[in-house]
Amino acid sequence: MQHLISLVNIVKSFGEKGKKLKVIDGVSLDVDEEFLVILGPSGCGKTTLLKIIAGVEKPDEGAIKIRSNTTYGFVFQSPTLLPWLTVLDNVALPLMAKGVSKGIAREKASKYLSLVGLHGFEDFYPHELSGGMKQRVNIARALVVEPTVLLMDEPFSQLDPLTAEALRAEILDLWLSGVTTVKAIVMVTHNVEEAVLMADRIVILTPRPAKIVKIIEVKLPRPRDRRAKEFQDIVDKVYEYVS
Amino acid sequence: MDVVQIFLACLASFGRMLIAYIISFIVAIAVGILMARRRYAEALLLPVLDILQSIPILGFFPIAIAIFLALLPKNIGLELAAIFLISTSLLWNMIFGVYSSVKSLEPEVLTMASIYKMRAFSRLAYIYIPVARAAIAANSIISWAGGWFFLTSAEVIGWGSEEHRLFGIGSLIMDFYSSGSSAEFYTAIAMLFAFIMVSYILIFNPAVNTATQQRMLPAFGKVFHYIYKLISALWELVISIGIKIESKRAFLYTIILTIPVAAPATFSMSTATNLSMGYQFLYEFAENFLLSLGRVALVILTSLTLAIGIAYLALVKKWGSPIALIGEVLASIPAIIWWPLLSPLIHSLPWLVSFIVFLQGSLWYSFFNVMLFGVPKIRADVLDLAEVYRVRGANYFRYILIPSLIPSIASGTLSAWGGAWNATIVAEYFESSGKVVDLGGVGAMLCKYTYRGSYDYVLYTVLLWALMIAIFNKALWSRVFKLVERAFVVE
Repeated sequence: MQHLISLVNIVKSFGEKGKKLKVIDGVSLDVDEEFLVILGPSGCGKTTLLKIIAGVEKPDEGAIKIRSNTTYGFVFQSPTLLPWLTVLDNVALPLMAKGVSKGIAREKASKYLSLVGLHGFEDFYPHELSGGMKQRVNIARALVVEPTVLLMDEPFSQLDPLTAEALRAEILDLWLSGVTTVKAIVMVTHNVEEAVLMADRIVILTPRPAKIVKIIEVKLPRPRDRRAKEFQDIVDKVYEYVS
Repeated sequence: MDVVQIFLACLASFGRMLIAYIISFIVAIAVGILMARRRYAEALLLPVLDILQSIPILGFFPIAIAIFLALLPKNIGLELAAIFLISTSLLWNMIFGVYSSVKSLEPEVLTMASIYKMRAFSRLAYIYIPVARAAIAANSIISWAGGWFFLTSAEVIGWGSEEHRLFGIGSLIMDFYSSGSSAEFYTAIAMLFAFIMVSYILIFNPAVNTATQQRMLPAFGKVFHYIYKLISALWELVISIGIKIESKRAFLYTIILTIPVAAPATFSMSTATNLSMGYQFLYEFAENFLLSLGRVALVILTSLTLAIGIAYLALVKKWGSPIALIGEVLASIPAIIWWPLLSPLIHSLPWLVSFIVFLQGSLWYSFFNVMLFGVPKIRADVLDLAEVYRVRGANYFRYILIPSLIPSIASGTLSAWGGAWNATIVAEYFESSGKVVDLGGVGAMLCKYTYRGSYDYVLYTVLLWALMIAIFNKALWSRVFKLVERAFVVE
């Protein structure tokens, strides 16, 4: 069966002539119906890779093959909500911008807000919410377009540890229970434990310019116990490859 | 005394101001967004607009006359010319307000727009225009005041032997003064005051309060509320139609590029090529320019000091609301009133009246920039710090207030600079029924050439003026702003 997403030898640099910075140096990757985590230190190019997958950045060299009818939802590192729209309208925005009628867009937005546990907050403005709640809105917005692939860019890095843990559990719940249309999740992070906790496969990148060091499969059944020996073994193995 | 006539004159002027405002509003949104999102527009327009904002309304007479008066029947042409001229007093800072708002968007918001495939119209409707709302509102206040200040210059278009007067409060006040009807004179001024105050309290202040979600300006009544509902409803309609059209077509992009920026440029270029400027003219210009430069420098220093002082009163004594209203009304007093009002001083202390007029044309830019953009944004934790460590008096100014306000002080001073140059035409020269006050300087120079109808010399003066401003902007202001950005912007 064709892969959901296939990246072939992606190369990407930034900057003008003279001061070019090579960020991605020949990355090839296949994404199937799985929870894929891209792991690497800050600044190594993982966000750029994610944006290339989303189609927002174009690679300098290389090819991307995507299965037809694939749609994306994107969860940003920071909530990126529009301060002048209510929570409901922020979630409904991607649909409204596509021409979906306001009524239907808002209905769907309401459904996904409930899914992330924010039922009752529809008429609040972003500045009235806590960081964790805003990030939940971010997630609801990513889901409202009913995507087949969910892309997440270090979604928990700006949250306090307690909220982050709660949100990780919620994402896993949504993923495992199959209530969404999402067939694959690609998450970028620099947190090794988080990667082992959530991923089916971990793609480990070098520091800039990014290349794939190793792809590690995590075959542990979920829910995963951080203190279990098998878990720790995989964490150790990952650390070996992270320079 | 015909109070009805005075009232109608106020109404007429108000109508002109309103139309000019709406036009400036639309142009500011279009051009500001274009400049923020397209490099070529930014590179071209930024320096051009910088210069244009320092050219006084008289400098635009040639265009007004050449386009509106020459090509259209007299009555319509005159009104359109007046509206055009008024717009040149309103437009520039609104454009800059929109531009800097859109430019300061978090880059991730634009990424989000790309990911969800938002096209031009959706971006406009959901991102660019909303983000500019607060800046437009605050700049509208500044612009509205600026428009009133130069109103007479737009209502009395004097060109050599021709003098075209429009029925309005500006020209009426002038008439009362020159015919010596003091009762009418003061009544007209009082009614103008009332009109202006009402326009702020009922419309502009509520607008700014709503857009910035603060309660700083004194506001009253539901008038704005209804206007707002009407405009929102219309806007929703426009959005839904626009998005439907956009989603059905592959590419729909409407750019409303207006401002005859190209027009005056080409006009001037073509006449300038038949130059025979002569050494004498250059010398005359240089002399006058230096004179005006000295005055402008003094004025902006004073404006700066006063603005900081007032900000202190607003912040520490919490007099923000009344100060803002007083400032709004004082700032809107048409320039033309000051000479007549202070006529006893014309013989003994003309430079004092001149200074007051100068201040009236520039202080408010510093004032409003600091009050509307600076003070609300002072970080609460910095103020708390001052409380906890009991930082008071001179130390408060030096370590807390001024550093926090530096970005708005810088942009306020730059606007005050432009305002002072604009004000030269009313501060350096005054003429009424035989009495002439001529204090020299480039403003006086421009007035004299305009009233003499010397098209060529007006153009040369404006060109040299623009050149000098461009040089100053490059040599002085860009350095100032780079410094400010490096040292004082918080993030």
